[in-house]
Amino acid sequence: MLAIQLEAESFEPLQALAEWHQWLAAELGLRPAAESHFLGRVRPSGAHDALLTALELEHYPGMTETCIASLAAAAAGRHGATAVLVRHRIGLVLPGDAIVLVAVAADRRGPAQRCCQELLEALKHEAPFWKREWSQGVGRWITGNTPL
Amino acid sequence: MAVSADPASPVQVRLFASLREATGWSEQLVELAATAKGANPAGPTPEQLWRQLGLQPATPPAGVRVAINQQFAAWDASLVAGDELAFLPPISGG
Repeated sequence: MLAIQLEAESFEPLQALAEWHQWLAAELGLRPAAESHFLGRVRPSGAHDALLTALELEHYPGMTETCIASLAAAAAGRHGATAVLVRHRIGLVLPGDAIVLVAVAADRRGPAQRCCQELLEALKHEAPFWKREWSQGVGRWITGNTPL
Repeated sequence: MAVSADPASPVQVRLFASLREATGWSEQLVELAATAKGANPAGPTPEQLWRQLGLQPATPPAGVRVAINQQFAAWDASLVAGDELAFLPPISGG
């Protein structure tokens, strides 16, 4: 069971999780016994320690959504997870705001945790997003990901 | 830009992020050059289109990836008329 959504505006992660829990309960009756969550937020400073005004996230409309769904389905299948939630921001994101929320529900903690970590890394390297840091009116494209 | 006289084989080429800003365009219909088609009987490749369009550097950088019809593809994949080809700079999601 996949719930994938790109967010053009800021979103509240706890509210997103609550909505997902309601959906799972409606679909499954009982929610799975284990969940693992990852929430990523924008750092206050960029790659060169300059204070960020915002982080811009560009994506490839259509391909990005399909790619996330494919990565989520593959990870869930490999780990036997029951359900996956991905909310990912696009557009301008302010420091401190949520960029990405990944949640995985499974019957046990091991599959939930492993699936969540694997899917997050896959999103960072395989889903077509591009980040641009904005600082003092200057934008700079990011060419890699922060260390794990 | 870099358009041949063969209207039967247009490919929609899309650029994103830093590649788009380096070239000044985001998408265009490109007719496949006869020289590119002749180099590969099965159809021109993304690498040949990269050169036909004059994208820089002339040899595609290692971090740049290719998508055909919104699926990741190889640089030596064969293109056919109507394909959507995208050159993707290094990805940084999550």
